[in-house]
Amino acid sequence: MSSTGSQAPFQALFLPATGGERFCVFHPARGEARRGSVLYLHPFAEEMNKSRRMAASQARSFAARGYSVLQIDLYGCGDSSGDFGDARWDLWNDDIALAAHWLARHAEGPMHLWGLRLGALLALDHARQAGRSFAGVLLWQPLTSGAQFMTQFLRMRLAGEMLSGAAPGNGTDRLRAELAAGRTLEVAGYELAPKLASAIERLDLVRLAPKELPAHWFEVNLEGKPSPALGRAAQAWRAAGTEVDLHAVHGEPFWSSVEISECPGLIAATSDALALTHA
Amino acid sequence: MNAVIEQVRTVVDSALQLRGRLGACDAATPLLGAIPELDSMAVVSLITALEEHFGFTVADDEIEAATFATLGSLTRFVRQKLDA
Repeated sequence: MSSTGSQAPFQALFLPATGGERFCVFHPARGEARRGSVLYLHPFAEEMNKSRRMAASQARSFAARGYSVLQIDLYGCGDSSGDFGDARWDLWNDDIALAAHWLARHAEGPMHLWGLRLGALLALDHARQAGRSFAGVLLWQPLTSGAQFMTQFLRMRLAGEMLSGAAPGNGTDRLRAELAAGRTLEVAGYELAPKLASAIERLDLVRLAPKELPAHWFEVNLEGKPSPALGRAAQAWRAAGTEVDLHAVHGEPFWSSVEISECPGLIAATSDALALTHA
Repeated sequence: MNAVIEQVRTVVDSALQLRGRLGACDAATPLLGAIPELDSMAVVSLITALEEHFGFTVADDEIEAATFATLGSLTRFVRQKLDA
């Protein structure tokens, strides 16, 4: 499958991997310059679907500026093999290594990791462990705390009872106890496995600060200014000696909004930031 | 930094995609029951957005309907969390 007409060309492909195949979309760099490559890591569960359009727009923008981009659907997600309930953090890390290996063979130059929300923490965790060296990370709306994110995800199961006062007030604790007992939970149509949940619970943006890896964070909100939460996390990185450029862009939270929305300012800011690192 | 009520209004607007429908920053502006978008699922999204913006964590037993009655009641709740 390839696109046609005046749109930028892309290729859809399946990489053979543990338990089947991983669906990927490759956007080759266009124009004369070959500046490098970017590997995209999607967010968790429904946020992945909400952000598809923005991810594709950003990939096309990078390609137009001379960067080849690979988007991978991780195990159990999107069009890749496997069930969501069988996904594990380590499996996803292996998928990233596989995708990076493929991308290195099909694009020249330095490779950046680009991740949205949980994908941003995947990028940081992978960069820390990977034998391969990356030129930098581009983090869109990174989660600050995996535990907080899990609480938010579990709350979706409790939405109805919370406001009615019918719940005994310990709903997410109750669900966590079920996970701790080894039971898979269905939340908003996704099977959440205890092992994946506990891996996510442990993630912390501040503790994942990489050493000597240029990082750009991008935050989208209606104020167009960094939120207190991400501002504090960026300060903590700097205090620990890690460079981070925090960009705030005016826009709606496209990864969670009810209607699919776009944020052109984010694409411009991200492409500019990447181009400047190689100016 | 903007007054807390300004920030709360912006977070509500953004989380519910109201696109300015909330109007001027008035503590008496009714929320729950007055904004059709604010159903139980949207309350969950709104709590998430407030947590992520301000960087605090809301416990299950802190969530009650009265908190979401007006922009003022929600702002009082956020102030308490920030002072905690």
